[in-house]
Amino acid sequence: MTTLTVKVADVEQVTDVVKHFTLVPENGELLPHFSGGSHIIVSLNINGRIHRNAYSLMGSTTEVDSYHISVRKQENSRGGSIYMHEEVKPGSILEVTYPVNLFAINKMARRHVLVAGGIGITPFMSQISDLNRLGYDYELHYAYRSNEHAAFREQLEEMCGDKVYFHVDSEGSQLDLKVLLSHQLLGTHVYICGPDSMVKALHLTAKDLGWPENHVHSEQFSAPPMGDEFKVKLVESDIELVVPSDMSLLEAIEGAGVDAPFLCRGGACGRCELEVVECDGQLQHNDHYLSDAEKLAGNKVMPCVSRARCSQLSLKL
Amino acid sequence: MQRGYWIKSKPNYNTLSWRENTLGHMLIAQGEGGLALVKLLQQRCPVQPLKVLFSGEKYTDILNGFIPEGIDVFASDEEMLCELKSQLSECLMGTQFYVAGDEAFIWKVMDELAVYGVQERDVEKELCGTIARSVYCVHCKTIDKNVHHNIHLCSYCNRYLFVRDHFSRRLGAYMGVMVDAEVPGDIPARQEIYP
Repeated sequence: MTTLTVKVADVEQVTDVVKHFTLVPENGELLPHFSGGSHIIVSLNINGRIHRNAYSLMGSTTEVDSYHISVRKQENSRGGSIYMHEEVKPGSILEVTYPVNLFAINKMARRHVLVAGGIGITPFMSQISDLNRLGYDYELHYAYRSNEHAAFREQLEEMCGDKVYFHVDSEGSQLDLKVLLSHQLLGTHVYICGPDSMVKALHLTAKDLGWPENHVHSEQFSAPPMGDEFKVKLVESDIELVVPSDMSLLEAIEGAGVDAPFLCRGGACGRCELEVVECDGQLQHNDHYLSDAEKLAGNKVMPCVSRARCSQLSLKL
Repeated sequence: MQRGYWIKSKPNYNTLSWRENTLGHMLIAQGEGGLALVKLLQQRCPVQPLKVLFSGEKYTDILNGFIPEGIDVFASDEEMLCELKSQLSECLMGTQFYVAGDEAFIWKVMDELAVYGVQERDVEKELCGTIARSVYCVHCKTIDKNVHHNIHLCSYCNRYLFVRDHFSRRLGAYMGVMVDAEVPGDIPARQEIYP
């Protein structure tokens, strides 16, 4: 995959656990344009092992002299976010992919309701820049634990004016999804980015209230789930490899030097889909892309987030 | 027609049935579509708020009997579509839609719903009364309504058209293509196949 080389121009501590990074092109030219809700994948070489983490672009979509991402430090993660927090400094050089958008606003919508939980605010920062520029009707609901976690609050107040509502857990002002989704005019689309439980709750609430699926959009970036070690055979390239318990199948394939396709690395887009030739155990599907029937059939797998509990898995690659 | 022949654009219609998860229901029917609403309401009258827009005379008394808050009855489809348009602007997400009537009517309603992003699969549709087709002449762009025959003489350009199964949701009409373009005057026998 073609990548861009960028230099870290600035690092800002936003809250105790969130840092904001300004990335500029190494060659001083402009970066590729992007639309609101886009993300990039940052490659990090941590002790010889390549980690690839997806981060939403937060900046204005009209300014491409720099990219802006924010990273929440995840204590129980595999080290990518900790590396970003502790090792990446102004002047550091990073490899990033071209922007990809799997969380764009629907321009046919009559209204847009944006719901963010914690660090899930990041894709909305660039979406709001699009919504403001196009003059679309929207409201933003930003839920966070307590005031020390209120990343970008002032900036949002400035960008959104009276269109933003803050819901602070510690002050008891929780966001009631049922109330929110019960009084939206026909033609409204809802977008959510936040913790898994919140995203699931919104999907369920919307379904219960009769919202059609295509009016509900969500995005989540989480580290691929860990599991047992297993062996993989790539039938077409005739390569055998081992997937350690703390590495994803895709990462192991990349580690073996195979240029496998990917886009979101979160089990959402389907780009990395591989055909299963044989599995002597059970596939563990963790993606949101395959249907339940396809998961049951077991002849496809999304290596970015899914793995297997088996001794050997053969893939057509 | 060859057995097994099927064209993807030809819509499927079903018998109306209630959708469970909802904030409210809106029933829109015309003519014989009134019977489809009666059948639906005889299954059950749901607890959620219910709105009924009906253009026609037959069935109005029965329908009124089901719904204490009453139904809106219109003398013409056009008046009803006008009222629908104004009600949709105040409708909430989560409303379920049910449409019953002839084919041209169903797709006029779908057209209004599409403005709000409501998709075909999210609407209950029942074809009632007649299966007469609206036919769109690909040569002169005229749409003729209530076509019952497989071969139709275009009312504007006077070409004999073969009425295909190829359906346009936007126009609510089937494609009509000149039947004797290759051998002028060679026009197959007309049959009434859309009663």
